[in-house]
Amino acid sequence: MKLQHYLGGLEGLGPVSTETRVFVEPWEKRIFGIHTAMMALSSQLPLPVTPSTFSTVWTWADLRKGAESLNPFDYFRFRYYEKWLGGICGYFIAHGYITAEELDALTEDYYAEPGKALPSAGEEAIDARIVQYLVDGDSPKREAAVSHAFAVGEEIVVCDVPTIEHTRLPGYLRNKTGTVETVYEGAYTYLCDTGPDGIGAAMSVYCVRFDPATIWPGNAEPNFAIYADLYAHYVAARASARQAA
Amino acid sequence: MADQFKYREDREAYSAARVRALEALLIKKGIITDRSVDTVLDYFETKMGPFNGAKIVARAWVDHAFKERLVADTPAAIAELALPEGMAGAEGEHMRAVANAPGVHNLIICTLCSCYPWPVLGLPPYWYKDPTFRSRAAREPRAVLKEFGLAVPESTEVKVWDSSAQIRWFVVPERPEGTEGLSEAELEALVTPEAMMGVAGAA
Repeated sequence: MKLQHYLGGLEGLGPVSTETRVFVEPWEKRIFGIHTAMMALSSQLPLPVTPSTFSTVWTWADLRKGAESLNPFDYFRFRYYEKWLGGICGYFIAHGYITAEELDALTEDYYAEPGKALPSAGEEAIDARIVQYLVDGDSPKREAAVSHAFAVGEEIVVCDVPTIEHTRLPGYLRNKTGTVETVYEGAYTYLCDTGPDGIGAAMSVYCVRFDPATIWPGNAEPNFAIYADLYAHYVAARASARQAA
Repeated sequence: MADQFKYREDREAYSAARVRALEALLIKKGIITDRSVDTVLDYFETKMGPFNGAKIVARAWVDHAFKERLVADTPAAIAELALPEGMAGAEGEHMRAVANAPGVHNLIICTLCSCYPWPVLGLPPYWYKDPTFRSRAAREPRAVLKEFGLAVPESTEVKVWDSSAQIRWFVVPERPEGTEGLSEAELEALVTPEAMMGVAGAA
């Protein structure tokens, strides 16, 4: 378990941020742009091959794995795009695209001379593919015939699957009982195989309604409901909830 | 342990230099071009952003049948409007709209990360990504909304939607009172990203 997976409902945190800006430092825009370019050039997408030397997979799952793998104290210490910067630098080093030494050395150069120009290079086809990715997206929906195990109105129990590296199951819902609100048509893949956590292959997705009073007895506000979209592997019939192995 | 909570004194200058070094290396090694980052940023200035969501909401306010179609089949209803291409593109492949009404207030959150409907809302503001918001909105949404300046009475049901799979959500806020004489374009100006996520009303 990682604290990052269990944020919902934590107590004693003080006031929320009401900051409406998307970026609070100019540099944050650059790491956002790099991340999005990487997603667009990721090798699994059915998009035209370009001269880019990027030859591996980079999706949201990779970015999320980086944040979820952090020591929780670092997770809360670093601002949103600081986590992105650390995770993306680490990925390029781990995959041998760059070395830590050359990144550190060049960081010192730009630190000493922030206005120093970036290199000029690159084929237009690379940027055309980036735009095409933004327009086309990367739908996880599959039309394959699926029989949905649950119908609207049925009660389910959320499973307590083992989570090692990455999950899409909010921790506060584990072992809780909810009611199916929507059965989404078709089946949905996830961006990667999450191993023993159990998602990746195409499966049903349900929107499930939970009564907060059953999640946080005596400690939830009245007259509200919480809904979550849950992959089928995370839900079971009430009498037979899967337990962690 | 004390070091765990320290930051570099030159925190922002260091990050700025590091991201510039990374971008420079990626260009030099042929991974991205010298225009790639700006291409992405330009796209979010002009094609994907809250200006699209505002048009969708304004249409829902003036056309009740459209609003019903928007809630029933969000992508199909959005496709009716003359918006930029890509409304079912990155992070908008499967969107779902929920509408506020007398007695019902909707709030969109993502407790695991920061899932957000890019084509109609652009990129998430800092409040949406704040771990404190993500924690507290799940258990005490009215207290959180009050900190945003939005009072939601106990008689109004709050529906909180946690974006944990691949569906991206947004809210159709209620049309403000006294706006009967406004044009659709004037109505668009009343719709903020905060209203379309449920931490504010349209006003």
